Amino acid sequence: MKALLKFKKWLLQDLYWILNENFVMKFILIFILLFSINIFPQVDKFRQYQDTTDWQKWGKANYSYQHQEPATSEQRYYSLKGENFGGTILKSFADAYWFFISDVDGDNCSFNPTCSSFFIQAVQRTNILQGTLMFADRFTRDLNLFKLNHYPRVEDGHFYDPVSLYTLNRSVIKITPPESFVNTE
Amino acid sequence: MIPTICLVFLFFSQAFPQKDSSDYFDINSTSNIKKFADYLFCADDYLRAALEYEKYLSSYYNDTVEFKIGLSYSRIGNYSKAIEWFNKIKNNSGFSNDARNEYFKSLFQSGDYYNFRKYYSENIVNNDKIRNLDKLFYFSYFFTDDELPPRNDFLNPFNLKEENKINEFYQRKTNPPYKSVAAAVIMSSLIPGSGKIYTGQIGDGIIAAIATGLCGYLAYDNFKAKHNFRGWVFSGLIAFFYAGNIYGSAASAQIYNAGIQFNFQNDVKLYLNQQNYFTPEYDFCK
Repeated sequence: MKALLKFKKWLLQDLYWILNENFVMKFILIFILLFSINIFPQVDKFRQYQDTTDWQKWGKANYSYQHQEPATSEQRYYSLKGENFGGTILKSFADAYWFFISDVDGDNCSFNPTCSSFFIQAVQRTNILQGTLMFADRFTRDLNLFKLNHYPRVEDGHFYDPVSLYTLNRSVIKITPPESFVNTE
Repeated sequence: MIPTICLVFLFFSQAFPQKDSSDYFDINSTSNIKKFADYLFCADDYLRAALEYEKYLSSYYNDTVEFKIGLSYSRIGNYSKAIEWFNKIKNNSGFSNDARNEYFKSLFQSGDYYNFRKYYSENIVNNDKIRNLDKLFYFSYFFTDDELPPRNDFLNPFNLKEENKINEFYQRKTNPPYKSVAAAVIMSSLIPGSGKIYTGQIGDGIIAAIATGLCGYLAYDNFKAKHNFRGWVFSGLIAFFYAGNIYGSAASAQIYNAGIQFNFQNDVKLYLNQQNYFTPEYDFCK
């Protein structure tokens, strides 16, 4: 208790000295006090209007300025889930082709979707016969080296050539001008 | 002396902002909301302008503001919202005719041509200010598969200056330069690749002809040399390329025709945009 009283006395003496004797310290203390008062109302003001301005309404854009590689032409879906008997056999062949040949050989098909994916999608959308005919046509078109201005592009530069254009169903044909870019994501 | 001046300056600087905030910074006041919304509208920031105007309308009714909300939504392509707001404007308002114009314009732009014609037929009013909607009514036929009205009826609402262009569109719609799917199929059946060339895919046609021809030659040559297995393999490839090409020619003709329709509708939309869909320009930003 005695020690505490002694400390209090020392503190008061010290404060008295700061406030009455040391002019520089007094100035600094008042400066800090006024500066803090000056700052905090601004913060409050910001909080007060946050509900009514676009700061909260629109929020911060989560955009990374780091360089990002363009998305790859196509993701491989190896899963056989949801396939019927015929689909399972066909998909197994396609999976084997992707795993043992295509992925090793590299990205050679100039189309999106690739010819193998096009075949799978064509069969899924139509039937095995029509799907095979669609694939035969696609394969022939892939042999053509002069297709530069005939197809729109996706972001990684591949030619966009969806299955929906070739099902012979007029209502699902959606034309995209060849000079445009398509976002496939 | 200098420290004292600094202290005095700081003292006053912390006192005045408090006063400012209460007097001038009340952005919640209705007049300030409207000023801000007007500013956003004139800066073409229509989405935020519409939201600010809606906030303003929760305190006061103002038909100009309602109309501007509808215009804002229309200009950013949110036609369902635009239709909703134009529909709210009362018949006794000074904006009732303009709102009706814009209502039908939004309905047209949303691509709901059948409802456009249906509502238009139900709401025909002999009023000069909305007579220009007759033009949009006829234009809607360019975007559907319905049979076009007779040429004279069609051209009736348009003035002499517009008539030439509309006549050209009418001609393109009634006689589109389509390619026949059947012709493409028959041509490819007779000469592989010719159907594709007919539909404008010259490179694809030549490649199909070469692929089929080459496989045919290889099959013939292998059968001739008694290499029957290889002969059958190349025969299978002939069938693959031949059938694929016939199918592809049919698909190619369909895509060609869809492209013709796409280009036609694009040209019509471009013309309508140039004419502002036959609706007046509103200058709220003078």
